[in-house]
Amino acid sequence: MTTPDRMRLGLPDLGIGVGLRVPHCQEIFETRPKVDWFEIISENFLVPGGVPLANLDRALAHYPVVQHGVSLSIGSTTPLDFTFLRDLRALLRRTKSPWLSDHLCWTGTATLNTHDLLPLPYTEEAIRHVATRARIVQDTLEVPLVLENVSSYLTYTSSELTEWDFLTAVVEEANCGVLLDVNNIYVSSQNHGFDPLAYVDAVPAHRVVQIHLAGHTNYGDYIIDTHSGPVIDPVWDLYRRTIGRVGAVSTLIEWDEDIPPLATLLAEAERARVVREEALSHAK
Amino acid sequence: MRNDLAAVQAYLASVIPGSAPIPADPALAEAAACFVTGNARLTPAAQVDIYRRQFWLRHRELLRDDFPGLAHLLGEERMDAFCRAYLDAHPPAHAPFRRMIEDVPAFAARFDGLEGVAPRALVVDMARYEIALLDVRTGPDAPPLDPQKLTSLPEDAWERARIVLHPAALRLSFTYPVHRLRKAWIVAGEPVVLPDAPAPVKLALYRNRDLVTHFEELEAEAFLLLELLAEGVPLVPALGRLAEPLPEDRQAHVATNVGRWFQQWTTLGIVVDVDLPASS
Repeated sequence: MTTPDRMRLGLPDLGIGVGLRVPHCQEIFETRPKVDWFEIISENFLVPGGVPLANLDRALAHYPVVQHGVSLSIGSTTPLDFTFLRDLRALLRRTKSPWLSDHLCWTGTATLNTHDLLPLPYTEEAIRHVATRARIVQDTLEVPLVLENVSSYLTYTSSELTEWDFLTAVVEEANCGVLLDVNNIYVSSQNHGFDPLAYVDAVPAHRVVQIHLAGHTNYGDYIIDTHSGPVIDPVWDLYRRTIGRVGAVSTLIEWDEDIPPLATLLAEAERARVVREEALSHAK
Repeated sequence: MRNDLAAVQAYLASVIPGSAPIPADPALAEAAACFVTGNARLTPAAQVDIYRRQFWLRHRELLRDDFPGLAHLLGEERMDAFCRAYLDAHPPAHAPFRRMIEDVPAFAARFDGLEGVAPRALVVDMARYEIALLDVRTGPDAPPLDPQKLTSLPEDAWERARIVLHPAALRLSFTYPVHRLRKAWIVAGEPVVLPDAPAPVKLALYRNRDLVTHFEELEAEAFLLLELLAEGVPLVPALGRLAEPLPEDRQAHVATNVGRWFQQWTTLGIVVDVDLPASS
Protein backbone atom coordinates (compact mmCIF):
# COMPACT_ATOMS: atom_id res chain seq x y z
CA MET A 1 0.00 0.00 0.00
CA THR A 2 1.18 3.52 -0.77
CA THR A 3 2.07 5.48 2.34
CA PRO A 4 0.99 9.13 2.55
CA ASP A 5 4.51 10.59 2.41
CA ARG A 6 5.19 8.78 -0.84
CA MET A 7 2.15 10.35 -2.47
CA ARG A 8 2.74 12.95 -5.20
CA LEU A 9 6.38 11.83 -5.18
CA GLY A 10 6.74 13.96 -2.05
CA LEU A 11 5.80 17.11 -3.98
CA PRO A 12 3.42 19.64 -2.39
CA ASP A 13 -0.34 19.82 -2.74
CA LEU A 14 -0.81 23.40 -3.93
CA GLY A 15 -4.60 23.29 -3.76
CA ILE A 16 -6.80 24.63 -6.57
CA GLY A 17 -5.33 26.76 -9.34
CA VAL A 18 -6.19 28.28 -12.69
CA GLY A 19 -4.19 29.07 -15.79
CA LEU A 20 -2.67 32.56 -15.87
CA ARG A 21 -4.03 34.10 -19.06
CA VAL A 22 -3.48 37.60 -20.45
CA PRO A 23 -7.15 38.77 -20.44
CA HIS A 24 -7.31 38.19 -16.68
CA CYS A 25 -3.95 39.59 -15.60
CA GLN A 26 -4.94 43.14 -14.75
CA GLU A 27 -7.95 42.04 -12.70
CA ILE A 28 -5.88 39.42 -10.91
CA PHE A 29 -3.21 41.94 -9.96
CA GLU A 30 -5.78 44.49 -8.82
CA THR A 31 -8.07 42.16 -6.85
CA ARG A 32 -5.74 39.33 -5.80
CA PRO A 33 -8.46 36.69 -5.96
CA LYS A 34 -8.55 33.62 -3.78
CA VAL A 35 -6.66 31.20 -5.98
CA ASP A 36 -4.09 28.88 -4.48
CA TRP A 37 -1.72 28.90 -7.46
CA PHE A 38 -1.35 29.68 -11.14
CA GLU A 39 -0.10 27.58 -13.99
CA ILE A 40 1.71 29.24 -16.88
CA ILE A 41 2.42 27.95 -20.35
CA SER A 42 6.21 28.10 -20.25
CA GLU A 43 6.59 28.88 -23.95
CA ASN A 44 4.64 32.13 -23.56
CA PHE A 45 7.31 33.40 -21.20
CA LEU A 46 10.42 32.36 -23.11
CA VAL A 47 10.89 35.93 -24.33
CA PRO A 48 13.58 38.50 -23.53
CA GLY A 49 11.28 40.86 -21.59
CA GLY A 50 8.27 43.12 -21.79
CA VAL A 51 4.70 42.46 -20.71
CA PRO A 52 4.85 38.64 -20.37
CA LEU A 53 7.70 38.63 -17.90
CA ALA A 54 6.33 41.67 -16.06
CA ASN A 55 3.03 39.84 -15.63
CA LEU A 56 4.84 36.74 -14.47
CA ASP A 57 6.81 38.67 -11.86
CA ARG A 58 3.62 40.28 -10.56
CA ALA A 59 1.98 36.87 -10.25
CA LEU A 60 5.05 35.43 -8.56
CA ALA A 61 4.95 38.20 -5.97
CA HIS A 62 1.68 36.82 -4.59
CA TYR A 63 1.13 33.25 -5.80
CA PRO A 64 2.98 30.00 -6.44
CA VAL A 65 3.41 29.48 -10.18
CA VAL A 66 3.88 26.12 -11.88
CA GLN A 67 5.31 25.73 -15.37
CA HIS A 68 3.41 23.69 -17.91
CA GLY A 69 4.72 23.21 -21.44
CA VAL A 70 3.53 22.21 -24.88
CA SER A 71 6.78 21.97 -26.87
CA LEU A 72 8.94 19.37 -25.17
CA SER A 73 7.88 16.71 -27.67
CA ILE A 74 9.18 14.00 -25.39
CA GLY A 75 8.10 11.28 -27.80
CA SER A 76 9.57 12.73 -30.97
CA THR A 77 12.23 10.73 -32.79
CA THR A 78 14.19 13.93 -33.48
CA PRO A 79 16.92 14.88 -30.99
CA LEU A 80 16.01 16.74 -27.81
CA ASP A 81 16.31 20.49 -28.15
CA PHE A 82 18.87 21.45 -25.54
CA THR A 83 18.60 25.16 -26.32
CA PHE A 84 14.93 24.95 -25.40
CA LEU A 85 15.80 23.03 -22.23
CA ARG A 86 18.33 25.69 -21.29
CA ASP A 87 15.66 28.36 -21.71
CA LEU A 88 13.22 26.33 -19.62
CA ARG A 89 15.84 25.98 -16.94
CA ALA A 90 16.37 29.74 -16.87
CA LEU A 91 12.64 30.28 -16.51
CA LEU A 92 12.50 27.69 -13.72
CA ARG A 93 15.03 29.74 -11.80
CA ARG A 94 12.64 32.68 -12.06
CA THR A 95 9.41 30.85 -11.22
CA LYS A 96 10.79 28.35 -8.68
CA SER A 97 8.17 25.99 -10.05
CA PRO A 98 8.27 22.85 -7.89
CA TRP A 99 7.91 20.66 -10.98
CA LEU A 100 7.66 21.09 -14.72
CA SER A 101 4.94 19.41 -16.72
CA ASP A 102 4.55 18.68 -20.40
CA HIS A 103 2.69 16.14 -22.48
CA LEU A 104 3.26 12.46 -23.15
CA CYS A 105 3.17 13.00 -26.89
CA TRP A 106 5.13 14.11 -29.91
CA THR A 107 4.63 17.40 -31.71
CA GLY A 108 6.60 17.08 -34.92
CA THR A 109 9.66 15.99 -36.84
CA ALA A 110 12.85 17.70 -37.93
CA THR A 111 11.02 19.54 -40.71
CA LEU A 112 7.54 20.09 -39.30
CA ASN A 113 6.22 21.29 -35.99
CA THR A 114 2.48 20.64 -35.89
CA HIS A 115 2.02 22.63 -32.67
CA ASP A 116 -0.31 19.79 -31.74
CA LEU A 117 -0.06 17.10 -29.09
CA LEU A 118 -0.04 13.87 -31.08
CA PRO A 119 -0.45 10.55 -29.30
CA LEU A 120 2.29 7.95 -29.30
CA PRO A 121 1.90 4.31 -30.30
CA TYR A 122 1.59 2.32 -27.10
CA THR A 123 4.59 0.05 -27.73
CA GLU A 124 7.65 -1.16 -25.87
CA GLU A 125 9.78 0.79 -28.32
CA ALA A 126 7.98 4.03 -27.44
CA ILE A 127 8.21 3.32 -23.70
CA ARG A 128 11.99 2.90 -23.90
CA HIS A 129 12.36 5.91 -26.18
CA VAL A 130 10.30 8.27 -24.04
CA ALA A 131 11.66 7.07 -20.72
CA THR A 132 15.25 7.57 -21.88
CA ARG A 133 14.50 11.11 -23.01
CA ALA A 134 12.46 11.91 -19.90
CA ARG A 135 15.39 10.93 -17.69
CA ILE A 136 17.68 13.24 -19.66
CA VAL A 137 15.19 16.10 -19.44
CA GLN A 138 14.74 15.59 -15.73
CA ASP A 139 18.48 15.50 -15.23
CA THR A 140 18.96 18.66 -17.29
CA LEU A 141 16.20 20.67 -15.67
CA GLU A 142 16.87 19.45 -12.15
CA VAL A 143 13.21 19.58 -11.21
CA PRO A 144 10.77 16.66 -11.35
CA LEU A 145 9.30 16.14 -14.80
CA VAL A 146 5.58 15.46 -14.80
CA LEU A 147 3.98 13.98 -17.92
CA GLU A 148 0.39 14.60 -18.91
CA ASN A 149 -1.89 12.20 -20.77
CA VAL A 150 -3.21 13.83 -23.95
CA SER A 151 -6.57 13.72 -25.66
CA SER A 152 -6.32 11.64 -28.81
CA TYR A 153 -8.36 11.35 -31.96
CA LEU A 154 -6.71 8.29 -33.48
CA THR A 155 -5.28 4.96 -32.40
CA TYR A 156 -2.35 3.16 -33.99
CA THR A 157 -2.24 -0.28 -35.55
CA SER A 158 1.11 -0.83 -33.82
CA SER A 159 -0.15 -0.24 -30.26
CA GLU A 160 0.34 -3.25 -28.01
CA LEU A 161 -0.88 -1.82 -24.70
CA THR A 162 -3.73 0.21 -23.26
CA GLU A 163 -3.01 3.92 -22.86
CA TRP A 164 -2.96 3.61 -19.07
CA ASP A 165 -0.51 0.71 -19.14
CA PHE A 166 1.68 2.72 -21.50
CA LEU A 167 1.55 5.81 -19.27
CA THR A 168 2.33 3.72 -16.20
CA ALA A 169 5.27 1.98 -17.87
CA VAL A 170 6.76 5.28 -19.08
CA VAL A 171 6.57 7.08 -15.74
CA GLU A 172 7.82 4.05 -13.82
CA GLU A 173 10.77 3.56 -16.15
CA ALA A 174 11.56 7.28 -16.28
CA ASN A 175 10.85 7.79 -12.58
CA CYS A 176 8.75 10.87 -13.24
CA GLY A 177 5.35 12.16 -12.19
CA VAL A 178 1.92 12.15 -13.79
CA LEU A 179 -0.24 15.14 -14.59
CA LEU A 180 -3.56 13.38 -14.90
CA ASP A 181 -5.84 15.31 -17.22
CA VAL A 182 -9.22 13.92 -16.26
CA ASN A 183 -10.95 15.65 -19.16
CA ASN A 184 -8.45 14.09 -21.56
CA ILE A 185 -9.25 10.66 -20.16
CA TYR A 186 -12.94 11.34 -20.77
CA VAL A 187 -12.36 12.69 -24.30
CA SER A 188 -10.18 9.76 -25.33
CA SER A 189 -12.53 7.24 -23.73
CA GLN A 190 -15.38 8.60 -25.83
CA ASN A 191 -13.25 8.76 -28.98
CA HIS A 192 -11.87 5.23 -28.59
CA GLY A 193 -14.53 3.42 -26.61
CA PHE A 194 -12.72 2.46 -23.42
CA ASP A 195 -13.88 2.67 -19.82
CA PRO A 196 -12.53 5.89 -18.26
CA LEU A 197 -12.87 4.40 -14.78
CA ALA A 198 -10.47 1.62 -15.75
CA TYR A 199 -7.95 4.31 -16.71
CA VAL A 200 -8.35 6.26 -13.45
CA ASP A 201 -8.14 3.08 -11.39
CA ALA A 202 -4.96 1.89 -13.13
CA VAL A 203 -2.81 5.01 -12.93
CA PRO A 204 0.02 4.72 -10.35
CA ALA A 205 -1.60 6.83 -7.62
CA HIS A 206 1.60 7.87 -5.86
CA ARG A 207 2.99 9.40 -9.05
CA VAL A 208 0.02 11.72 -9.67
CA VAL A 209 1.40 15.16 -8.90
CA GLN A 210 -1.23 17.32 -10.56
CA ILE A 211 -4.67 17.12 -12.13
CA HIS A 212 -6.15 19.09 -15.04
CA LEU A 213 -9.84 19.76 -15.54
CA ALA A 214 -11.29 21.43 -18.63
CA GLY A 215 -14.16 21.63 -21.04
CA HIS A 216 -14.21 20.18 -24.54
CA THR A 217 -16.21 20.29 -27.77
CA ASN A 218 -18.33 17.36 -28.90
CA TYR A 219 -18.59 17.08 -32.69
CA GLY A 220 -20.78 13.98 -32.64
CA ASP A 221 -18.42 11.43 -34.17
CA TYR A 222 -15.56 12.63 -32.03
CA ILE A 223 -14.68 15.03 -29.22
CA ILE A 224 -11.91 17.62 -29.34
CA ASP A 225 -10.10 18.86 -26.24
CA THR A 226 -10.68 22.57 -26.84
CA HIS A 227 -10.41 23.83 -23.25
CA SER A 228 -13.63 25.70 -23.85
CA GLY A 229 -16.70 25.92 -21.66
CA PRO A 230 -17.22 24.50 -18.19
CA VAL A 231 -16.23 21.05 -16.99
CA ILE A 232 -19.07 18.61 -17.68
CA ASP A 233 -20.63 16.38 -15.03
CA PRO A 234 -19.10 13.07 -16.19
CA VAL A 235 -15.67 14.70 -15.89
CA TRP A 236 -16.48 15.92 -12.37
CA ASP A 237 -17.46 12.34 -11.54
CA LEU A 238 -14.11 11.10 -12.85
CA TYR A 239 -12.38 13.78 -10.80
CA ARG A 240 -14.14 12.57 -7.64
CA ARG A 241 -13.01 9.04 -8.40
CA THR A 242 -9.46 10.23 -9.05
CA ILE A 243 -9.22 12.22 -5.82
CA GLY A 244 -10.57 9.20 -3.97
CA ARG A 245 -7.60 7.22 -5.27
CA VAL A 246 -4.76 9.74 -5.28
CA GLY A 247 -5.72 11.99 -2.35
CA ALA A 248 -5.16 15.74 -2.14
CA VAL A 249 -3.44 16.63 -5.39
CA SER A 250 -2.91 20.09 -6.93
CA THR A 251 -5.79 20.66 -9.32
CA LEU A 252 -6.05 23.17 -12.14
CA ILE A 253 -8.89 24.46 -14.29
CA GLU A 254 -7.84 25.06 -17.92
CA TRP A 255 -9.93 27.41 -20.05
CA ASP A 256 -8.23 28.64 -23.22
CA GLU A 257 -10.91 29.10 -25.86
CA ASP A 258 -13.72 31.62 -25.48
CA ILE A 259 -12.00 32.68 -22.28
CA PRO A 260 -14.71 33.77 -19.83
CA PRO A 261 -14.65 36.61 -17.30
CA LEU A 262 -12.33 35.89 -14.39
CA ALA A 263 -15.31 35.46 -12.06
CA THR A 264 -16.61 32.55 -14.16
CA LEU A 265 -13.23 30.87 -14.14
CA LEU A 266 -12.89 31.36 -10.40
CA ALA A 267 -16.36 29.91 -9.85
CA GLU A 268 -15.25 26.80 -11.73
CA ALA A 269 -12.16 26.63 -9.52
CA GLU A 270 -14.36 26.92 -6.44
CA ARG A 271 -16.46 24.05 -7.70
CA ALA A 272 -13.27 22.01 -8.01
CA ARG A 273 -12.41 22.91 -4.43
CA VAL A 274 -15.80 21.74 -3.19
CA VAL A 275 -15.70 18.52 -5.20
CA ARG A 276 -12.19 17.81 -4.01
CA GLU A 277 -13.12 18.37 -0.35
CA GLU A 278 -16.16 16.11 -0.71
CA ALA A 279 -14.11 13.41 -2.39
CA LEU A 280 -11.41 13.61 0.29
CA SER A 281 -14.01 13.43 3.09
CA HIS A 282 -15.68 10.48 1.41
CA ALA A 283 -12.34 8.70 1.01
CA LYS A 284 -11.64 9.06 4.74
CA MET B 1 5.46 -1.24 -44.55
CA ARG B 2 7.37 -0.26 -41.39
CA ASN B 3 5.22 0.97 -38.58
CA ASP B 4 7.78 1.71 -35.89
CA LEU B 5 7.80 5.03 -34.06
CA ALA B 6 9.86 6.89 -36.66
CA ALA B 7 7.74 5.57 -39.53
CA VAL B 8 4.49 6.55 -37.81
CA GLN B 9 5.77 10.07 -37.17
CA ALA B 10 7.15 10.47 -40.69
CA TYR B 11 3.81 9.41 -42.18
CA LEU B 12 1.72 11.76 -40.06
CA ALA B 13 4.11 14.68 -40.56
CA SER B 14 3.84 14.15 -44.30
CA VAL B 15 0.03 14.36 -44.40
CA ILE B 16 -0.98 16.69 -41.56
CA PRO B 17 0.07 19.94 -43.31
CA GLY B 18 -1.86 19.07 -46.47
CA SER B 19 -4.91 21.02 -47.56
CA ALA B 20 -6.90 18.26 -49.32
CA PRO B 21 -9.03 15.95 -47.14
CA ILE B 22 -7.18 12.67 -46.55
CA PRO B 23 -10.26 10.42 -47.04
CA ALA B 24 -10.63 11.88 -50.54
CA ASP B 25 -7.16 10.72 -51.59
CA PRO B 26 -7.09 6.91 -52.12
CA ALA B 27 -3.31 6.65 -51.73
CA LEU B 28 -3.25 8.66 -48.50
CA ALA B 29 -6.26 6.78 -47.18
CA GLU B 30 -4.58 3.45 -47.89
CA ALA B 31 -1.42 4.59 -46.12
CA ALA B 32 -3.49 5.81 -43.16
CA ALA B 33 -4.88 2.30 -42.72
CA CYS B 34 -1.35 0.93 -42.31
CA PHE B 35 -0.71 3.13 -39.30
CA VAL B 36 -4.09 4.00 -37.84
CA THR B 37 -6.92 1.71 -36.78
CA GLY B 38 -10.02 3.81 -37.24
CA ASN B 39 -13.11 2.86 -35.25
CA ALA B 40 -16.81 2.14 -35.76
CA ARG B 41 -17.52 5.80 -36.54
CA LEU B 42 -14.37 6.97 -38.31
CA THR B 43 -12.12 5.38 -40.91
CA PRO B 44 -8.35 5.56 -40.36
CA ALA B 45 -8.20 8.38 -42.92
CA ALA B 46 -10.99 10.27 -41.14
CA GLN B 47 -9.11 9.98 -37.84
CA VAL B 48 -5.92 11.36 -39.38
CA ASP B 49 -7.96 14.07 -41.06
CA ILE B 50 -8.97 15.46 -37.65
CA TYR B 51 -5.32 16.35 -37.06
CA ARG B 52 -5.01 17.83 -40.57
CA ARG B 53 -7.98 20.12 -39.95
CA GLN B 54 -6.70 21.10 -36.50
CA PHE B 55 -3.32 21.96 -38.02
CA TRP B 56 -4.97 24.35 -40.44
CA LEU B 57 -7.36 25.93 -37.91
CA ARG B 58 -4.63 26.38 -35.31
CA HIS B 59 -2.15 28.05 -37.64
CA ARG B 60 -4.75 30.17 -39.38
CA GLU B 61 -5.83 31.50 -35.99
CA LEU B 62 -2.25 32.13 -35.04
CA LEU B 63 -1.51 34.08 -38.20
CA ARG B 64 -4.72 36.08 -37.82
CA ASP B 65 -3.86 36.87 -34.20
CA ASP B 66 -0.37 38.08 -35.05
CA PHE B 67 -1.37 39.94 -38.23
CA PRO B 68 -4.77 41.58 -37.64
CA GLY B 69 -3.78 44.56 -39.79
CA LEU B 70 -2.85 42.26 -42.64
CA ALA B 71 -6.16 40.43 -42.22
CA HIS B 72 -8.04 43.75 -42.40
CA LEU B 73 -6.08 44.71 -45.48
CA LEU B 74 -6.64 41.45 -47.34
CA GLY B 75 -10.16 40.64 -46.20
CA GLU B 76 -11.40 37.28 -44.87
CA GLU B 77 -11.17 35.17 -48.01
CA ARG B 78 -7.86 36.53 -49.28
CA MET B 79 -6.32 36.27 -45.80
CA ASP B 80 -7.28 32.58 -45.72
CA ALA B 81 -5.67 32.11 -49.13
CA PHE B 82 -2.58 33.94 -47.91
CA CYS B 83 -2.38 31.72 -44.80
CA ARG B 84 -2.79 28.55 -46.87
CA ALA B 85 -0.12 29.58 -49.32
CA TYR B 86 2.20 30.70 -46.55
CA LEU B 87 1.88 27.44 -44.61
CA ASP B 88 2.49 25.49 -47.82
CA ALA B 89 5.61 27.54 -48.58
CA HIS B 90 6.83 27.77 -44.98
CA PRO B 91 5.49 24.87 -42.94
CA PRO B 92 6.35 25.52 -39.29
CA ALA B 93 9.56 23.72 -38.47
CA HIS B 94 10.16 25.10 -34.99
CA ALA B 95 8.17 25.35 -31.79
CA PRO B 96 8.36 29.13 -31.20
CA PHE B 97 5.59 30.91 -33.09
CA ARG B 98 7.90 33.87 -33.63
CA ARG B 99 10.03 31.68 -35.88
CA MET B 100 6.97 30.50 -37.75
CA ILE B 101 6.01 34.01 -38.78
CA GLU B 102 9.43 35.40 -39.60
CA ASP B 103 9.06 34.81 -43.35
CA VAL B 104 5.66 36.49 -43.65
CA PRO B 105 6.97 39.84 -45.00
CA ALA B 106 9.21 38.15 -47.57
CA PHE B 107 6.36 35.86 -48.57
CA ALA B 108 4.03 38.84 -48.92
CA ALA B 109 6.55 40.35 -51.33
CA ARG B 110 6.00 37.46 -53.74
CA PHE B 111 2.47 36.22 -52.95
CA ASP B 112 0.58 36.14 -56.23
CA GLY B 113 -2.88 36.73 -54.75
CA LEU B 114 -2.66 40.47 -54.21
CA GLU B 115 -3.80 41.71 -57.59
CA GLY B 116 -6.70 44.11 -57.22
CA VAL B 117 -6.56 43.83 -53.42
CA ALA B 118 -3.86 46.17 -52.18
CA PRO B 119 -0.50 47.57 -53.27
CA ARG B 120 2.20 45.01 -52.58
CA ALA B 121 4.39 47.52 -50.72
CA LEU B 122 1.51 48.25 -48.37
CA VAL B 123 0.99 44.55 -47.62
CA VAL B 124 4.71 44.00 -47.01
CA ASP B 125 4.92 47.11 -44.82
CA MET B 126 1.96 45.95 -42.74
CA ALA B 127 3.51 42.51 -42.21
CA ARG B 128 6.83 44.08 -41.20
CA TYR B 129 5.11 46.50 -38.84
CA GLU B 130 3.07 43.79 -37.12
CA ILE B 131 6.17 41.66 -36.53
CA ALA B 132 7.93 44.75 -35.17
CA LEU B 133 5.06 45.30 -32.73
CA LEU B 134 5.44 41.76 -31.42
CA ASP B 135 9.18 42.21 -31.06
CA VAL B 136 8.91 45.52 -29.23
CA ARG B 137 6.33 44.11 -26.80
CA THR B 138 8.54 41.18 -25.81
CA GLY B 139 11.98 42.68 -26.37
CA PRO B 140 14.57 42.97 -23.61
CA ASP B 141 13.96 45.17 -20.59
CA ALA B 142 16.19 48.05 -19.54
CA PRO B 143 16.12 50.23 -16.42
CA PRO B 144 15.06 53.84 -17.13
CA LEU B 145 17.63 56.56 -17.58
CA ASP B 146 18.98 57.95 -14.34
CA PRO B 147 18.62 61.75 -14.73
CA GLN B 148 21.48 62.28 -12.28
CA LYS B 149 23.78 60.51 -14.69
CA LEU B 150 23.06 63.13 -17.35
CA THR B 151 23.57 66.09 -15.09
CA SER B 152 26.79 64.70 -13.67
CA LEU B 153 28.45 64.24 -17.08
CA PRO B 154 31.45 66.54 -17.68
CA GLU B 155 31.05 69.00 -20.54
CA ASP B 156 33.43 67.20 -22.87
CA ALA B 157 31.71 63.86 -22.29
CA TRP B 158 29.44 64.12 -25.33
CA GLU B 159 32.47 63.74 -27.58
CA ARG B 160 32.88 60.15 -26.45
CA ALA B 161 29.77 59.24 -24.48
CA ARG B 162 27.76 56.47 -26.10
CA ILE B 163 24.01 57.01 -25.95
CA VAL B 164 22.33 53.71 -25.06
CA LEU B 165 18.94 53.20 -26.67
CA HIS B 166 16.27 50.90 -25.22
CA PRO B 167 17.10 47.43 -26.55
CA ALA B 168 13.48 46.77 -27.47
CA ALA B 169 13.03 50.03 -29.41
CA LEU B 170 13.07 49.75 -33.21
CA ARG B 171 13.63 52.20 -36.01
CA LEU B 172 11.48 51.51 -39.04
CA SER B 173 11.00 52.94 -42.52
CA PHE B 174 7.81 52.30 -44.48
CA THR B 175 6.46 53.24 -47.88
CA TYR B 176 2.96 53.57 -46.46
CA PRO B 177 1.88 54.89 -43.04
CA VAL B 178 0.90 51.43 -41.82
CA HIS B 179 1.14 52.48 -38.19
CA ARG B 180 -1.69 54.96 -38.65
CA LEU B 181 -3.75 52.66 -40.88
CA ARG B 182 -3.48 49.79 -38.41
CA LYS B 183 -4.39 52.02 -35.49
CA ALA B 184 -7.44 53.33 -37.36
CA TRP B 185 -8.64 49.86 -38.35
CA ILE B 186 -7.79 47.82 -35.26
CA VAL B 187 -7.92 50.29 -32.37
CA ALA B 188 -10.48 52.84 -33.60
CA GLY B 189 -12.53 50.31 -35.57
CA GLU B 190 -12.66 52.49 -38.65
CA PRO B 191 -13.51 50.93 -42.03
CA VAL B 192 -10.65 49.84 -44.23
CA VAL B 193 -9.87 52.59 -46.71
CA LEU B 194 -6.70 52.07 -48.71
CA PRO B 195 -4.43 55.08 -49.23
CA ASP B 196 -4.40 56.56 -52.72
CA ALA B 197 -0.62 56.83 -52.90
CA PRO B 198 2.51 55.92 -50.97
CA ALA B 199 3.44 58.26 -48.13
CA PRO B 200 6.88 57.25 -46.86
CA VAL B 201 7.37 57.47 -43.13
CA LYS B 202 10.11 56.85 -40.59
CA LEU B 203 9.27 55.70 -37.08
CA ALA B 204 10.64 54.87 -33.71
CA LEU B 205 8.59 52.03 -32.26
CA TYR B 206 9.09 51.69 -28.54
CA ARG B 207 7.38 50.77 -25.33
CA ASN B 208 7.06 53.23 -22.49
CA ARG B 209 7.75 52.65 -18.82
CA ASP B 210 4.27 51.16 -18.41
CA LEU B 211 5.18 48.62 -21.15
CA VAL B 212 2.67 50.14 -23.56
CA THR B 213 3.84 50.21 -27.19
CA HIS B 214 3.86 53.54 -29.04
CA PHE B 215 5.14 54.91 -32.30
CA GLU B 216 6.80 58.24 -32.87
CA GLU B 217 7.12 59.64 -36.38
CA LEU B 218 10.60 60.98 -37.01
CA GLU B 219 12.06 63.54 -39.36
CA ALA B 220 14.65 62.06 -41.71
CA GLU B 221 17.56 63.64 -39.84
CA ALA B 222 16.27 62.51 -36.46
CA PHE B 223 15.89 58.99 -37.80
CA LEU B 224 19.44 59.01 -39.13
CA LEU B 225 20.77 60.32 -35.84
CA LEU B 226 19.02 57.54 -33.95
CA GLU B 227 20.51 55.02 -36.38
CA LEU B 228 24.01 56.36 -35.71
CA LEU B 229 23.45 56.34 -31.95
CA ALA B 230 22.18 52.76 -32.20
CA GLU B 231 25.43 51.84 -33.95
CA GLY B 232 27.30 53.16 -30.90
CA VAL B 233 28.59 56.41 -32.41
CA PRO B 234 28.90 59.04 -29.62
CA LEU B 235 26.58 62.04 -29.90
CA VAL B 236 28.99 64.69 -31.14
CA PRO B 237 30.65 62.55 -33.83
CA ALA B 238 27.20 61.29 -34.81
CA LEU B 239 26.02 64.84 -35.32
CA GLY B 240 29.11 65.51 -37.42
CA ARG B 241 28.47 62.52 -39.63
CA LEU B 242 24.82 63.43 -39.90
CA ALA B 243 25.46 67.04 -40.87
CA GLU B 244 28.32 66.50 -43.30
CA PRO B 245 26.28 65.62 -46.42
CA LEU B 246 23.40 67.97 -45.58
CA PRO B 247 22.80 71.38 -47.20
CA GLU B 248 23.29 74.35 -44.90
CA ASP B 249 19.64 74.92 -44.16
CA ARG B 250 19.22 71.30 -43.01
CA GLN B 251 22.38 71.52 -40.94
CA ALA B 252 20.89 74.53 -39.23
CA HIS B 253 17.67 72.59 -38.75
CA VAL B 254 19.54 69.78 -37.03
CA ALA B 255 21.45 72.21 -34.84
CA THR B 256 18.21 73.89 -33.81
CA ASN B 257 16.35 70.67 -33.07
CA VAL B 258 18.84 68.17 -31.72
CA GLY B 259 18.33 69.26 -28.12
CA ARG B 260 14.57 68.83 -28.47
CA TRP B 261 14.93 65.42 -30.11
CA PHE B 262 17.25 64.20 -27.41
CA GLN B 263 14.99 65.46 -24.67
CA GLN B 264 12.00 63.81 -26.33
CA TRP B 265 13.77 60.45 -26.70
CA THR B 266 14.83 60.63 -23.08
CA THR B 267 11.29 61.42 -21.93
CA LEU B 268 9.79 58.64 -24.03
CA GLY B 269 12.22 56.07 -22.67
CA ILE B 270 13.98 55.48 -25.99
CA VAL B 271 17.26 56.66 -24.45
CA VAL B 272 18.00 54.58 -21.34
CA ASP B 273 21.62 55.25 -20.51
CA VAL B 274 24.73 57.23 -21.30
CA ASP B 275 27.85 55.16 -21.29
CA LEU B 276 31.02 57.13 -20.77
CA PRO B 277 34.09 55.02 -21.49
CA ALA B 278 37.03 55.56 -19.19
CA SER B 279 39.62 58.00 -20.63
CA SER B 280 42.75 56.32 -21.92
